[in-house]
Amino acid sequence: MNWDLLTVALLAGAANWLFRVVPTLARTDRFAPGGLLERFLAATGPAAIATLFVAAILPALTPDLLRLAPVIGGTLAVLGVWLARRSVVLATLAGAVTHGAAVWLLS
Amino acid sequence: MTPQRPPFRDGLIASLPIVLGYFPIAFSFGVAATRAGFSATEAFALSLIIYAGASQFLALALLTSGAPVLVSAFTLIAMNLRHVLYGPALMRAAGQGASTRRAWAWAFGLTDEVFGQALGALARGQQFSEPYMFGLGIGAYASWLAGTAVGAVAGGGALDGWPALNAGLGFMLPALFLALLLSILSRRQLPVIAIAGAVTVAATLAISATSGILLGMLAGAIAGLLRR
Repeated sequence: MNWDLLTVALLAGAANWLFRVVPTLARTDRFAPGGLLERFLAATGPAAIATLFVAAILPALTPDLLRLAPVIGGTLAVLGVWLARRSVVLATLAGAVTHGAAVWLLS
Repeated sequence: MTPQRPPFRDGLIASLPIVLGYFPIAFSFGVAATRAGFSATEAFALSLIIYAGASQFLALALLTSGAPVLVSAFTLIAMNLRHVLYGPALMRAAGQGASTRRAWAWAFGLTDEVFGQALGALARGQQFSEPYMFGLGIGAYASWLAGTAVGAVAGGGALDGWPALNAGLGFMLPALFLALLLSILSRRQLPVIAIAGAVTVAATLAISATSGILLGMLAGAIAGLLRR
């Protein structure tokens, strides 16, 4: 077993459990909204996801249009399915299927 | 939550769209983990303990790039901070009298999709019930673990002869992040997202990919704090 991986997994898993369980048990929905903590928590999630999307898509960006086409197709599919169905799972799958299909068609 | 079926079974049935969506994503995680040099057991352990798709893919990237353990853990933890808001949002919709006696167990399953499905059920007028939450959460969790196990056992070389499938699964991560981003997009969060994205690009190009991730998150969170 890779001990670095296990340590990261245990720390992240414990934090996940705390993030999901403690606010539910504490019924923090009864607290007043708009405070510093609420603003920080509300901003960290979107900031993290935006950062990770940019970090994930950056290596795929290339001036070679033939290699870029599947990325553009996959991205448009995610946007289209999200707008139509508002489902994270369906939009993700549509993006992956479109990207794979574009690679197959262009190969 | 419906009078015709026991709530647990009702939750399991409601989890079916999530089950169908999770399996291929978890499969691609299992494949990616073994391709990155981790064993099937290690891939399964990540899914069992962390149970957050995007974080798990990121864990692979960070650990294989040699990022320090604490930096990796901090990055994953920061990424999942948004989950802090799910429980309160769900309980606000459930109402004052809703029981949270067994929330220490079912709330661990509050992923983005489970949260969305549960909130949608409440919005459609169904009554909150803890057995329903168990059914919904167990279906999704089982699918995630099964997909990971199958992908990890298939192994990193399983898709070598299938370049299109390989490319599609490789795009699963950016697609997942984009879909998650769209799901939380609002006019209020736009400055946070724009600043986080711009700083990530700048820091990645100027320093490194790991620095880009950390600095982008930090800049976005600070932008949120300063917002009035």
